[in-house]
Amino acid sequence: MARLKIDHAKCTECRMCYVACREINLNAVVVSSTDQHLLEIDDRCIYPKCTVCLMYCPAEGSIVESDTGRSLVPPPPEVWTDDLRWPRSAASKAAEE
Amino acid sequence: MQPILEDFLTKWVYPVGFAGAGVDFRMRQTERCIPVWDNIVAGALKTAAADLKSGRDDWKAARALAGYAVEGPCMSIKQMSTQILSVTVDEQPKYIDLQRMRARQIWDEVKHGQLHADVLIRGGWVKREEELMDDPRANTQPKLAYFGMTSMFPHIHPLARAGQHYFNEATACLSITATLSVVDDPLIRHQLRSQEVEEMMHFMEGKYQIDAYALTPEDQKPIEEVFDFLLKPWASAPTRALGGAGGGEPPA
Repeated sequence: MARLKIDHAKCTECRMCYVACREINLNAVVVSSTDQHLLEIDDRCIYPKCTVCLMYCPAEGSIVESDTGRSLVPPPPEVWTDDLRWPRSAASKAAEE
Repeated sequence: MQPILEDFLTKWVYPVGFAGAGVDFRMRQTERCIPVWDNIVAGALKTAAADLKSGRDDWKAARALAGYAVEGPCMSIKQMSTQILSVTVDEQPKYIDLQRMRARQIWDEVKHGQLHADVLIRGGWVKREEELMDDPRANTQPKLAYFGMTSMFPHIHPLARAGQHYFNEATACLSITATLSVVDDPLIRHQLRSQEVEEMMHFMEGKYQIDAYALTPEDQKPIEEVFDFLLKPWASAPTRALGGAGGGEPPA
């Protein structure tokens, strides 16, 4: 079961979460087969070990914990501690490409 | 510091998803932006209060005409497509998501133009959007620091616009929040509420691109040059060439 889910009543489908998740090669944000191409988060999501998508989501309340329904946008301080930050360097980006 | 800015920083600016040179660079630029953002919040609060105090309605039309000039289809398509085209075929693998963000933003901006047109139509200032094509106020924006061609072509690097997004879209978010905290007019509140989340997305484009892509001095240089430009005292003020007071000394 996915650990995060998108609240479509609040999400604007801007796709920042898709971009961020794709950038780090998790690819847990997927375009669903709905006519509206709504985004969903699948079981490749490793939250709470990764919280990158939450940092770039602009729509308050649009990504929530699946189990509790707790809103994670804007991100509460406990989900962006130093140990949760994804290392980012020119070398690591080059290696990914 | 204005409480509106403090809240914005805590909720949207400081949370980071990455660690590395891009984030460090963004935080340094943020420190440069904060005093200007603070003044912009103060100015937006003052303007909104003055608008209300005037007891008239013409400020709504003035705001909508100015909004249409910067977000109507003509300006939106030109400015955004220009920036998309700054990515060459060779660079596309590096910036493909940047292109996606900007493609999305074209549609956002065009929608915002519709919101401004709706204010003018529902407020009775025009009958049809097409009337705006003949009104210079709906087709010229006077700030050098806006995304218009004046600041775009000298800063055409694919990442340059990240600086514009970060600085300018933050000012949009802050100004909207400040105005909503004062203005109770349903027409204006509808327009601002409808666009505020998308302005935040555009700010996030800048935040994300700096954090994720500005990883070397070479990547950071074109972005820093944009901040150098945007933070000049004359850059955000209406230019004299379009009827403004100038707002400081012109570039040497």
